[in-house]
Amino acid sequence: MSNIQQLPSRQVSNRGMEGGRRSLCRFLMPLSFPWVLLWVLALGGLVLMPGAVLAEVPNAVPPEGTYEGEHVEQPIEFPHDTHADVNKINCMYCHTYARRSPVAGIPPTSKCMGCHSIIATDKPRIKQLTEYWDKRQPPPWKKVHDVPDFVHFTHEKHLKRFVFDNEGMDVENVAEVCAFCHGEVKKMTVANKVKPLTMGFCRRCHEANDGPFDCWKCHK
Amino acid sequence: MSNKVNRRDFLKIMGWSGVGATLAGCDLPTTVTLEEGKEEVVSYLMPEEFVIPGIGVWYASTCLQCPAGCGVHGRVREGRVLKLEGNPESPINRGRLCQMGQSGVQAHYNPDRITQPMLRKNGGLTPVSWHDALEVLAQRTGPGSGLTGERFAWFTDTISGHQAVLLDAHLKAMGSDNHYVHEVINNSVTRAVNRDMLGEEQPRLRFDKARVVLSFGADFLGTWQSPVHNATEYAKFRSPPRGVLVQVEPNMSLTGANADLWVPVRPGTEGLLALAIAKVLATKHRKPLDKLPAAVQELILGYDVNEVARITGASGDHIIKIAGWLSERSPSLVIAGATAEGHEQGYQIVAAIMLLNIILGNVGETIEPAGEFPFPQLTARTGGTRSLVDFAKALEEKRYDVVFFRGANPVYTAPKALGLAQKLEGVGFKVAFSMFQDETTALADLVLPMRSPAEDWGTHVPAYQGEDRVISVQQPLMEPLYTETRGFGDVMLSLLKMHKVAGYSDYEDYYAYLRDAFAAMPAVLKENHSDDSFWARALQKGVIPVPTTQGSLTVKTAAVEVPGDSGRGEYPYFLVPAARLGMWDGRHANIPWLQEAPDQITKVVWNSWAEMHPSTARKLGVKTGDAVRIASSQGTIEANVYVYKGIHPDVIAVPMGRGHEAYGRYAQGRGVNPLKILDPVTERKTGELALMATRVQVSRASNEKVMVKLGGSESQLGRKIVATVTADVFERTEGGA
Repeated sequence: MSNIQQLPSRQVSNRGMEGGRRSLCRFLMPLSFPWVLLWVLALGGLVLMPGAVLAEVPNAVPPEGTYEGEHVEQPIEFPHDTHADVNKINCMYCHTYARRSPVAGIPPTSKCMGCHSIIATDKPRIKQLTEYWDKRQPPPWKKVHDVPDFVHFTHEKHLKRFVFDNEGMDVENVAEVCAFCHGEVKKMTVANKVKPLTMGFCRRCHEANDGPFDCWKCHK
Repeated sequence: MSNKVNRRDFLKIMGWSGVGATLAGCDLPTTVTLEEGKEEVVSYLMPEEFVIPGIGVWYASTCLQCPAGCGVHGRVREGRVLKLEGNPESPINRGRLCQMGQSGVQAHYNPDRITQPMLRKNGGLTPVSWHDALEVLAQRTGPGSGLTGERFAWFTDTISGHQAVLLDAHLKAMGSDNHYVHEVINNSVTRAVNRDMLGEEQPRLRFDKARVVLSFGADFLGTWQSPVHNATEYAKFRSPPRGVLVQVEPNMSLTGANADLWVPVRPGTEGLLALAIAKVLATKHRKPLDKLPAAVQELILGYDVNEVARITGASGDHIIKIAGWLSERSPSLVIAGATAEGHEQGYQIVAAIMLLNIILGNVGETIEPAGEFPFPQLTARTGGTRSLVDFAKALEEKRYDVVFFRGANPVYTAPKALGLAQKLEGVGFKVAFSMFQDETTALADLVLPMRSPAEDWGTHVPAYQGEDRVISVQQPLMEPLYTETRGFGDVMLSLLKMHKVAGYSDYEDYYAYLRDAFAAMPAVLKENHSDDSFWARALQKGVIPVPTTQGSLTVKTAAVEVPGDSGRGEYPYFLVPAARLGMWDGRHANIPWLQEAPDQITKVVWNSWAEMHPSTARKLGVKTGDAVRIASSQGTIEANVYVYKGIHPDVIAVPMGRGHEAYGRYAQGRGVNPLKILDPVTERKTGELALMATRVQVSRASNEKVMVKLGGSESQLGRKIVATVTADVFERTEGGA
């Protein structure tokens, strides 16, 4: 069971629950259990899955669906893993606008230099960053996650619902909420789009989490 | 069971299949979801403390879409201005903004902006650097150029504030006093009458105090003086006890559509109607005429109401009803606008209308002295169409070698009869300070690309202000979109430096000049603030309140001589070039939001039309959408007909503002320009162009263009979709008081 709980979201097929069950079957098949038991286990796993996530983000059903985004070449291959996973820096330390604004914001270059004028100054990527800083130019990052202009999405409201106004939720674990739509960025270097961010994706999550359902909430 | 699908079923099927299609489409990612890695997302290098990406910050500035000078707040996000709203601190518009103001962002972001200086070489305009452009300016107009003041002129739109100070300084440096100020939509004739009869050109009008407003063609909610300000005052006038609005005009304006009584009259007979109302007031309601000269009293008493009704087209009942309202409900306010002014005898017509105010004792009640503005150097230089006539005459006499143009577009607005485009060929060096390639700019020899109002500094003192007078401050809402554009003030300072004018040469740019000018303002404006804090407050509020001195109005009347029936002759119809809040005088034809906004009366979009009364249409055998040819002695235009009852049967109205030959992708080649076929008749006393004095013939033309309008039927066909009551019933049942 613990294996199922830790199934990385990107391995779940993007065909929703049905696909999830099939991949589950494939996962359990080599253990050659009797079929009936296998089904019991599979269905039990399904029932337990939301409960399992509750341990991470209480009162939330994570959205389903994955997407295989292309790798996006960035001016500097920024290591999210080193920052968020190895050094356990909170996402909102750098993406500081997420809690206050519709957009999460790319951290200002001065914020990078706040640490990196001292830390790891000899690393090639930091040297690259320092070059931009000396030219007084922010690196021209490429946009990975976006929704069309006719969609009004706000980070602020989502963080309020899933983090700040969410009883039992620890702000330290905010990365789990970010992962709903961005995947496990802390396991990546530069971000890769791994969630579809389509209307269906949004709609199913709003349905599961009792989110607002009026057209004008997002299309205004 | 029949296979027929009725309307209801059809809608049901469409509804359900629509829902199905929508939901199925929810998961299709590629067409609407943006691709990764195609756009850049650039962070701040050093964030400003108050900037949060994604959240707008509002800054105060001034709207320059028309000369009313409303205060605006601009929402700026990530360094870009995204939305304009009214500034609640401004006593002119008190937080409101009209559709022209709202669409200011489309003037700013317009794809047809001029982005670099251009010089005419071998017939065509070629890009040059600012350095070269200023060099050419120095050669042709600088101190060593040999150009004398009388051979030089400025041709501008309304200009005020410190821009006017710099322009005056430049004229002085050139040794010239040739400054033409041109506005097609103006109230020059009324100003002249006010000056002669009341002693003040622009007295304050108290719509809020009036209990009846009688307007002779003054579209004060749409295009007259300060529309947004008037609308606020109008709301007070209409709140209980509800004031009565009577509109007398040849074709319905936005104000006319709001009136309790709308009276169509034959253009040019408004004065006669005013005097007939005066007669009813004197005879039936015993209003004394003793403030008027004996000759005028005699004239008024000599009128026969039935005869006047026949000439003007207004019914005798209406004349008596209007007089009744004016007599019962005091104080009242009688005003005159473009359709009353624009005649050969316009001055006399407006003077006759003004007599009603004197008879009714409105002067001092609803017409108050505005008082003296303490900084005459900053007040608005206003103008009308006389400048156009005078300028054309001066060009004919080849009086100018160099002309500078700013804001105004005389090549578009001048009637063909003035031959302005041809006459301009005689001017050796024409310089256009311009944002767009309009008709005038297209003829220029040197084009200087201006910053948009959202990128530039300035101060403005609009000609008409209400109770609280202000200097309106204009500040850039964002960095210039195009680096090779310059602010008007900046270029003016360069010109003054070229002439080495003392007092202007030390400033690096217009910002530095304004900082100094603000520091030099008297203590009464600064209210004990330091220079820096006064500056910061002015930018924050967007306005600087200015105390004015108490003025007084002195009534002086002279004989009036109003025109009567002017006959029909060879050209049986009157042409009214109608002004509308939207296209204005044509300056907004390059703004798609305004092109697509349905006209307030006819709902037509993106094109011109010709308004026509049903009886006239029957006579000509045309219906709505058919094309007609409208011919004056000066030329012809063709437009699709819009048939409705909101127009006098003798009148054909064509809106101003479209029919551009240049001016960018949205304006060029759309509709027709009625100003082009006007007879070059001028008002006798003021010299203004008589815009309403042109007679035309109308004939059927072949339909080539489709008239696009929103809304199908003008009538509710008895279905009572919108319930209405008359003003009388409303007054009795809900109006109270």
